[in-house]
Amino acid sequence: MEVTGHSRRSALRQLIAAMGAVSLDWPAIVQAAHDAHVAVLSPADLSYTLLGPADAADVEALTSQIVPSDETPGAREAGVTWFIDRALGSFFAHWRESFTSGLAEFQAACRAFDPAGTSFAALSSERQIEFLRTVERTAFFDQARLLTICGMFSSPKYGGNRNGAGWKLIGFEDQHVFEPPFGYYDRDYPGFAVAEKTP
Amino acid sequence: MSARKFRDSDTVDFLVVGSGAAGGVIARELARAGLSVVVLEQGPRLAPADFEHDELKYWFMGGITANRQDNPQTFRHDASQVAAVPMVRNPLYYARGVGGTTLHYTANYWRFREVDFKERSLLGAISGTGFDDWPISYAELEPYYTKVDWDIGVSGLAGASPFEPPRTRPYPMPPVPVKSSGVLFERGARKLGWHPMPAPLAINSVAYGGRPACVNCGFCFGFGCEVMAKASTLTTVIPQAEATGNCEVRANSYVSRVEMDKRGRVTGAAYFDVDRREHFQRSRAVVVAANGGETPRLLLNSANSKFPHGLANSSGVVGKYLMWNLTARALGLFEHELNEHKSVQVTRILHDFYDSDPKRGFYGGGGLDSRIGPQPAVWAQRTAGDGPGWGKAYKERLREFPRSMQIGCHSTSLALESNNITIDPTVKDAWGVPAIRVTYRDHPDDLTSARFLQERGAEILDAAGALRVTKVPVSESSLAFHLLGTCRMGNDPAKSVVDKHHRSHDIPNLFVCDGSSFVTSGRGQPTMTIQALAFRAGEHIAAFARKNEI
Repeated sequence: MEVTGHSRRSALRQLIAAMGAVSLDWPAIVQAAHDAHVAVLSPADLSYTLLGPADAADVEALTSQIVPSDETPGAREAGVTWFIDRALGSFFAHWRESFTSGLAEFQAACRAFDPAGTSFAALSSERQIEFLRTVERTAFFDQARLLTICGMFSSPKYGGNRNGAGWKLIGFEDQHVFEPPFGYYDRDYPGFAVAEKTP
Repeated sequence: MSARKFRDSDTVDFLVVGSGAAGGVIARELARAGLSVVVLEQGPRLAPADFEHDELKYWFMGGITANRQDNPQTFRHDASQVAAVPMVRNPLYYARGVGGTTLHYTANYWRFREVDFKERSLLGAISGTGFDDWPISYAELEPYYTKVDWDIGVSGLAGASPFEPPRTRPYPMPPVPVKSSGVLFERGARKLGWHPMPAPLAINSVAYGGRPACVNCGFCFGFGCEVMAKASTLTTVIPQAEATGNCEVRANSYVSRVEMDKRGRVTGAAYFDVDRREHFQRSRAVVVAANGGETPRLLLNSANSKFPHGLANSSGVVGKYLMWNLTARALGLFEHELNEHKSVQVTRILHDFYDSDPKRGFYGGGGLDSRIGPQPAVWAQRTAGDGPGWGKAYKERLREFPRSMQIGCHSTSLALESNNITIDPTVKDAWGVPAIRVTYRDHPDDLTSARFLQERGAEILDAAGALRVTKVPVSESSLAFHLLGTCRMGNDPAKSVVDKHHRSHDIPNLFVCDGSSFVTSGRGQPTMTIQALAFRAGEHIAAFARKNEI
C-alpha cells in the first residue's frame, strides 16, 4: 500500500502501536525504513554511515556485477550500496558481522588474485568477472547477492529500488487493484468447459 | 455483543492454544455451544489495514512469521548432524498472530479424497515407515468439508473434475477469474487428455460472509489480506466466536507449559503476556491447536514426573512422523506476457496423478497447479538459484518475470519416525522457552514422486507452447509450509497421540487438533482438511462437555 505525507505518518503510528508487542523491534525497523525513505527524498543526505569509501567502492563494484547497468538500470542506479549500508546498520544488523568479515576475505582473495591491482573496484570489468568466478560459491557472495536483491526489488521505502528501478526492470506494476484480463493469454478465454465424467 | 473477558483465576470450560486454522474454528464451535472459552495466541492481533505489500518485511525480516531472531528453530537432516538456525528463514514457515497461518497462506482449499484415509489398506505396508490408515473415512468428514465451504467461504466449481470426491453441496461462490497461467495450464493439460479444473480457494470471488471480493492485488502468498477477501480465521470464525459472548481471544499470550494435577488431568496453561509476565489460566479442559510444529513442542516442553518424555506422550510418538509435502517446480517461459504477479496464486489445478499407482514402482502421487512465482524479491532470489546467478545473463532472466509461470507439483510425504520435532538441547527463544529442533530428510519415494509429477508439469508447459521449460532439480528439502503428522490420530494408544475425536489417549481432558493430527500427508494443501477436522472435533468436544465427559 502506498502511503504518503500525513496518511503515511498515521499508518506508521498505527503500525507501531500494533507491533509494539512484538519483541522483534518493529518500531525501530519502521523508523529506520522511514529515515531511509526521507533520506532518499533529500539527496544531500546520501552519505554512507557504515561503509568506508574503499569498502563502499568495492561493494558498489560487486553489486554492479551482480545486476549490471546497461541500457536499463542496474544495482548502481537502484541505490543498492546505499541500501546495504543502511540495512546493515539497522534492520539487517544481525548480518553486519558476517558481511564485514566476508568482505575483508573477499578483498584479501582479490589481492591474491591480482597482486598488482589496488582493489576489486579498480580492476577492469573483465578482470572483476574473472575474479568473481573464483568466489561465486562463497557464503559472502550469496549474502551480497541476497542484499542486492533486497535492495533492488523490495519497497523503495527502505532506500533501495530507487524510483522503482528494480520493479521497472522486471515489469512489476506497483498497483493495488487489478482487473482481468491480467495478461495476453486470458484475454479471450471462452470459459471453463466441464469434461466428460469418464477419467 | 462485545467479546467477554475472563480472569486467569476463572476456571473456564476450555482453553484453546492457538487461533489459526484449527483453533479459530474450535473456539467458535465451543463458544456457540454455550461453553466458556479463552483462546491464547502467541502473536499480536493485527487489523487487516495493518497488512502491507512489503516483501522485505514479510519474506526477509520474518514479518508476521515465527522469525529466526525471536523464535529461532534449528534444522538438521538426520540425528548425526548438529542442528543450526538457518541464515534467513526458520525451517518451519508459519504465521504468529490472531488468525495464525491463515493470515498469510495461499488459501488453496483442496478436499482430501476417499483414498487418502485408507491407503495402507489399499496398498499394503511400506517397510521402515509409519504409513497407516486414518481412523476416520472421507464419508465421516464430508459434512465438515461442506461446512468449511460454506462457513469459511470457498470459491470453486462443483463437478468440474471427474476425480472429485462426493460432495453434498456445491461451492457457495463461483471460481475467481482465470489468469494467463491458468489458461495455459488448461490448454496444455487438455491437449494431453488430462482433466484440469478451476482451483478451489478460500478467497472471495464475490462478496461473501460480510467480506468483499478479491481485488486481484497479487499479494496472497506470505502476506496478510488487507481487503479481507482471503478467508483468515481473523476475519471469519474468530469474530463469530467473540460475538457469542462466551469467548475471549487473548493476543500476545504465549503458552509455555500445559500443567497437570495428581489425578492426571490438565488444569490449564502457563503463558507469558505482552510484557513477558507469567500467568496461569485455569480451565476444565485444554485444546492444543498450535500447529504441527508448536503443538508437539508445547507437549514436549510440558513434560512432568508422570510423563517424563512429554505430556500425553506414553506412546513416544509426540513430535514424530513430521510430513510437509515435498513440492517440485516446473518453470515455463512464454512468448507474451502473463503478468502473474496480479491476482491470486493459483487458478487451475490437476488431480489426474493423485493416486499412488503400484505400477509406477514407488509410493506417491500428487496434484499440480498453475501458479505465479512469488513477488519480485523472492522471485529474483529463486531465479538466482535456478540458472545463471549474476551478471548479464542473470539480468536477462530477471526480465522474463512477466512472461514466466510455474507449475507447482505437490507430492506426498511418507511418515517416518526419523522425521520429527524435538526440543533443541541448547537454543532457546526470546522468552527463554526451549526451541524447536527439526530433523527431516525426504523419503526416497517422496523425491521420486515429486520428480514424476514434475515431468507431468513439464509436459503441460510444453504442450501449452512454452518457449523454454525448466525442471528445477528436486533435492532434499529443508523448508516447510505444511506441518503435519506430529501428534497423529489413531485407535491404538501405543501408536498414536489422539483418538478419532482428537482426545489424547493419555489425558481425558486434553485435546489436540491441527495439522499434527494427520496420519498421512495428502497431496499438499492441508488447510481444508485441518478445518474440516476442527469443525468435527469442535462438535464432538462440545458434546463431551455437555455430557460432563471432559
